[in-house]
Amino acid sequence: MLMDRRVLILALIAIVQMQSAFGDSPKITAVLTSSDVVVGETVQLQIQIDNAGMSVRPPSEIDVPGLQIRYTGESTQMTWKNFSKSSSITYNYTILPEKPGSYTIPPQSIRVGKDNLQTPELTLRVADSPKAAASGGSNRAPSSNSQVGEEKIAFAELLVPKKTAYVGEMIPVVIKVGFNSRTRVAEMVPPQVNGQGFTVQKLGEGERNLENIDGRSYVVFNYKTAISAARIGNFQIGPVEQKANVLVPRRSSGTRRKPFDPFSEDPFSDPFFALPFGGLMEQHEINVKSDPVSLEVKALPVGAPPTFSGAVGSFSMTAEANPKRVQIGDPITIKAAISGRGNFDRMNAPELSDERGWHKYPPSSNFKQDDDVGISGTKTFELVVSPNEKLTRVPPLAFGYFDPVKEKYVTLQSEAVPLIVEGNAPATPAIVGVTPGASAAPTSGGQQKAQDILHQINETGKIVSSFTPFYARKEFWLAQLLPLTFALGLTGWKVQNVRASNRAALRAARLQHERDELLRKLRRDQLAPREYFSDASRVVQLKTALKQMNIEPATVDAETAARVFDLNAEQSERMRRLFATSDEFRYSGAGNGESALSSDGRRETLELIESLS
Amino acid sequence: MKLRARFQILVLLLFALPSAEGASNDGPSRTGDDLFAKANTEFAAGNFKAAIADYQAVVGSGEWSANLFYDLGNAYFRHGDFGRAILNYDRALRLDRRHPEADANLRIARDQTRSLELVPSALERYLNFGTANLFAVVAAIFFWLTITLLTLRPGRALWTVAGILLTAICGFAAYKSENGTHGQGLAIVIAENTEARVATVDSARSVLALPAGSEVLILQERGDWNYAALPNDQRGWIAASAVEKVRL
Repeated sequence: MLMDRRVLILALIAIVQMQSAFGDSPKITAVLTSSDVVVGETVQLQIQIDNAGMSVRPPSEIDVPGLQIRYTGESTQMTWKNFSKSSSITYNYTILPEKPGSYTIPPQSIRVGKDNLQTPELTLRVADSPKAAASGGSNRAPSSNSQVGEEKIAFAELLVPKKTAYVGEMIPVVIKVGFNSRTRVAEMVPPQVNGQGFTVQKLGEGERNLENIDGRSYVVFNYKTAISAARIGNFQIGPVEQKANVLVPRRSSGTRRKPFDPFSEDPFSDPFFALPFGGLMEQHEINVKSDPVSLEVKALPVGAPPTFSGAVGSFSMTAEANPKRVQIGDPITIKAAISGRGNFDRMNAPELSDERGWHKYPPSSNFKQDDDVGISGTKTFELVVSPNEKLTRVPPLAFGYFDPVKEKYVTLQSEAVPLIVEGNAPATPAIVGVTPGASAAPTSGGQQKAQDILHQINETGKIVSSFTPFYARKEFWLAQLLPLTFALGLTGWKVQNVRASNRAALRAARLQHERDELLRKLRRDQLAPREYFSDASRVVQLKTALKQMNIEPATVDAETAARVFDLNAEQSERMRRLFATSDEFRYSGAGNGESALSSDGRRETLELIESLS
Repeated sequence: MKLRARFQILVLLLFALPSAEGASNDGPSRTGDDLFAKANTEFAAGNFKAAIADYQAVVGSGEWSANLFYDLGNAYFRHGDFGRAILNYDRALRLDRRHPEADANLRIARDQTRSLELVPSALERYLNFGTANLFAVVAAIFFWLTITLLTLRPGRALWTVAGILLTAICGFAAYKSENGTHGQGLAIVIAENTEARVATVDSARSVLALPAGSEVLILQERGDWNYAALPNDQRGWIAASAVEKVRL
């Protein structure tokens, strides 16, 4: 038992090792948490490696003049699904821009096992200063709050990295909501971004940090999301609204307080704050709002390629098709993976650059995001196509998108896949004859196919009233009553036979027992003549009844015994004498004296009896 | 000798009862006959919509035949409704699996729509030589033969085991035929642009786009949605109005 368990565990480990060994090849992605920042503001660079295994050597130093890039740590994520392990390692770097400008972070080479992977090239635009950023590239809502009292307890801020964007372009947005560290947040709902003319991606979980702002310590929740303008024009994004229940330390009783205005004075100037949370707290329902930020949304330029279907961003495409040897009409699955950053939710599948000779089925898609907000990742399309004629290749897939950085349309094309198509092309449509009975079955595969349907049939044919199979109908089970009755009758007959044969066997056993007892008495030679002949004739009767089972022993006489045992004349005569003597003794009242029967007579009688078989 | 005669009667009765039920209405009623003739006339005149209505009325009367569903399939085909054409060709073949015209037209309709078909398992392909009815009757015969043998010759253990085994195999074959990919759950997509989805809402992610006439196997019915096995070996939810079961 223990051995079995060990074997099972070893087998499981082996399966897992094999799964791990033959798992997916490692993949690398690199993203910036924001591509537009101001001087002095930090931005995160995240390099994520999927299916990395154990031996990964990340770049310890990334050198870009004008940017201070420091490695800040790594995080590992492992998931198990159906005995399949997948892991990803994320290396985090903090970037601090030193001066304004547009910076290019070159591709970083990372060795993963035997593979050498490269990150994509990233661009970071740095504005001059917060003021310059507000009026220039970056678009940041001031952190001031209209509610005078609450600005010291909490604030909300909306950071939009751009002032202008194109319709459909995904713009990453950060919402910061801070609470004075001396308060305690009792209840808080996710912030809401108000405004019209744009869509907002679902807000993720807020990242909690402790920040020092203007000499005060705040607990700041950073929410990352993305917005996408739906139409052109000037829009106001926000304000961001945050409702929360906050516990604020209560003032001491000696302090004067204006009625209905608990925040008219700075609550943290109270000496009570020397012991934060040491005393009683009072709850305040607050509603903080950021200032809105303006965004100018431009229309996409004219001259979109035919393959453009609304994708805006920066993408790359890979494609593969299988199988590569098919019959005419057989399906071929083309898997196209589009990776990058942009509006994946409005992305349609790439198209065949030459659709002649192909039949297309509607595609299916699957999106795997690389970031928290879903603007970076890989969307995989599965297109099923089938050749209508002999073709030598699957034509390249074409995918068009608008690149807002380069401000132009880009068309990606995959490689053509060589293909072997077997079979003949279908014939041109032909009307099949309407002669009844001339309904030759159509051919399949590459053989010639008739394109029009066969004739109408005017005879109704056999009428049925149910699609239900026999065994689900009651008639079928009622029909089973017949064989059931037959089987029951057969069983009854069999039982009766067995009982009858049992009775016969019992009778035979009884007769045999009596015969054997009498024979033993006769052989002992101690019986009186009357008793001797009576027993001898009885033995003959028993033997006769045993020989012929339908005869009752009491009815057997000398003639019957002679007939049953087929005795000769002499034996028959002796038999007659035996029965006569027996009757004589029984009915004449003769004595039982010893002298009446000689030993020879006894022996002859015994021989006669024993010869019966 | 007597026993043999009794057995022959039993076998005859076993076959005769269900088939007698199936052929109990050998002559269609006057109404059904008239409607069928009228529908054929409408079809010949090119009034496919009227022909469909008349054929459907015959179907509604419960007087079904393979030819009726075949003709109805033709009418739908001519009307351009390939999904329902395939559905009715399938019904014709369900009633008469050797209906050559229905088989031929079904293939043509499938070529037109590029519909997707369920792939039967290897066992189902092997069992395709018979129907659930055939397997059920053979299973019943084996069963009663075994019982008879067991009664008459109780000592024949090998024969008894063989009889039980054959009964079980035929019973299993009947079950597989009835509950496999082409069994009672088989349904045909009759609506255009049907999507099988991961959940019972129209906005849920699509699992597979199903052209009209595609086969699906209904596994569960829940309100306006059916959970079905799909031709690509996946499963998904399909709007109940978009599919119709082959078996009425």
